[in-house]
Amino acid sequence: MITAGCDVGSLTSKAVIMKDNRIVAREVILSRIKPAESALTVMESALQQAGMTLKDINFCVGTGYGRDRITFVQEAVSEITCHARGARWLLPTVKTIIDIGGQDCKAMRIDNEGKIVKFITNDKCASGTGRFLEVMAKIIGVTLDDLGGLSARAKAPITVANACTVWVQADVIQHLNDGIAAEDIGAGINNAMASRMAVLANNIGLERDLCMTGGVAKNAGVVIALEKLLGMTIKRIKKVDPQLVGALGAALIAGDKCERRAAS
Amino acid sequence: MMDAFRESSTILFNSHVQDWKTNGGSIVGYTCSYVPDEIFSAAGILPYRLRGIGAKEMNIGDAYFGPFICSLPKCLLQLAGEGKYDFLDGVIVTPGCDSMRRLDDCWRKAGEDRAETLPSFFFHYAVPHKTADYSLKWFIEETQRLKAAVEKHFNITITDEQIHEAIDIYNEGRLLLSCLDALRCATDVAISGADALAVVLASTTIPRKIFNSLLTELIAQIETGTEKITGRKRLMLVGSANDDVELVRLIEGDKAVVVADNLCFGARFYADLVEKDGEPVAALAKRYLFHNDCPRMFGDYKGRLKILKEKIERAAVDGVILQNIRFCDLHGSENGIFERDLEAAGIPCLRIEREYGPLVETGRIRMRIDAFLERLET
Repeated sequence: MITAGCDVGSLTSKAVIMKDNRIVAREVILSRIKPAESALTVMESALQQAGMTLKDINFCVGTGYGRDRITFVQEAVSEITCHARGARWLLPTVKTIIDIGGQDCKAMRIDNEGKIVKFITNDKCASGTGRFLEVMAKIIGVTLDDLGGLSARAKAPITVANACTVWVQADVIQHLNDGIAAEDIGAGINNAMASRMAVLANNIGLERDLCMTGGVAKNAGVVIALEKLLGMTIKRIKKVDPQLVGALGAALIAGDKCERRAAS
Repeated sequence: MMDAFRESSTILFNSHVQDWKTNGGSIVGYTCSYVPDEIFSAAGILPYRLRGIGAKEMNIGDAYFGPFICSLPKCLLQLAGEGKYDFLDGVIVTPGCDSMRRLDDCWRKAGEDRAETLPSFFFHYAVPHKTADYSLKWFIEETQRLKAAVEKHFNITITDEQIHEAIDIYNEGRLLLSCLDALRCATDVAISGADALAVVLASTTIPRKIFNSLLTELIAQIETGTEKITGRKRLMLVGSANDDVELVRLIEGDKAVVVADNLCFGARFYADLVEKDGEPVAALAKRYLFHNDCPRMFGDYKGRLKILKEKIERAAVDGVILQNIRFCDLHGSENGIFERDLEAAGIPCLRIEREYGPLVETGRIRMRIDAFLERLET
């Protein structure tokens, strides 16, 4: 059985192709304005890697904010359900999942059967999302990938009191002009991100094991700061890029649906 | 049939209101379900519940209220400032919540700055926060003060007989709306939550006699109709004031149907009848103070939870959506406690915070609704 998942997010689009419960292709691209285009491009690239065409896919599930605009999927499923499914496949003992994406962050808790029992998403603004880190990295003059590493080298991290991305941007510029080291500013940014996420995560009642998905899970500075704030170890996802967990979950759900369809 | 309700639920100066005005009738707007329609109806005035629909900007609302407050009263003031409520002959503001209470101050100040913004009859109708004997006594006096003010301003006399007649008409409307509620509880529901809300919203603007006759016709249609909504998750909508049919439509999508609610533009608006015996103003005060289960009332959380649980059982609800307008302290905090207690009773809940006004953030709301429905499916 060949299944696929396509996750069209606000910043990146991801695709995962699975054959007999094994990942055979994966791809991440920057999202375009039109979700349908992003989906086609990322899936075509994944298909090329796998040496397949869309006709080879038995069932495809779409997810992400653009899920309803993907033309080639059989079904659309929310990213909350997909991230939970993907995380549980990767870490069967996981009970709480924190996902920080480009423009939103979510925390979800699942039961022993993997069923979602509670979830929460940010609903105030873009602060505390991947976009926040992207803006700050650009001002400091480091890549998004390097931002996470700054925390380990920081001596006196700044305190970011503001919640507004635009005002934090002004604060960071002020710190740079005052000659504060990029490491200390970067660490302050990572800590602020973790602090916002901790408020959200604590809201759903954390249960071990805890893991993180989404692009920000690759930022070591945020992950370590979050562990300190939550007082809980965050299990690292190593089998795949954490950014791909939504698409992976979608491909797994496609498999579930395919099996259910065959059984009926 | 539904068109009449849909038109009245989406257009402020709808055809029924226009007809009333064209025929020389007076209209008094009010902000909260604690205001007794019957006083105005008895006076030959059309009671009209104020709504903020259609506000596209917030320059006037923001100027008087500031940014960190519920957007519903801001939208009301915005529309008043834009002249959208020029058809009103009077306005009643209540302290339904602190934000609504501030509407009184802000609207009066806006009237000082631009006289035409303030109607000639502008009345603050205070409502106690407790349901005790002494608060009822006080509320009866306040309702008599309202009646006297209406009589003085409009130069009329409102007799007990006229109030009794109005009570009969409004009680009939309440019974019809309760009948619609019962039909929504059926296994194969025949009316969507969006359309049911349109009916309730229409009841807040259409003259009640006309509304009663339209609703009688609709109920007959539903009872004899064959079209049913099946195979969808049954939801209940709870929380802050919602007069946006599109929000319910967004929630329902093609996978859910809202079969019950506990909203002030909903079941709370028409729950329970006014007693027909005795002094009519006292009877009105009693019904409006005692039978309107809003979290603004102190010390009755358990009663409100009980009402929710009964409705959930009656309507065979699969899940409850607890929504509140941003900065709504009353519903924001009560929704948290409802969630805790309903989830403990095995009833899945989803909390949503939203902005009042033009429906925004639909993608994020949709994602949460989808995830909630997926939770209900598994």
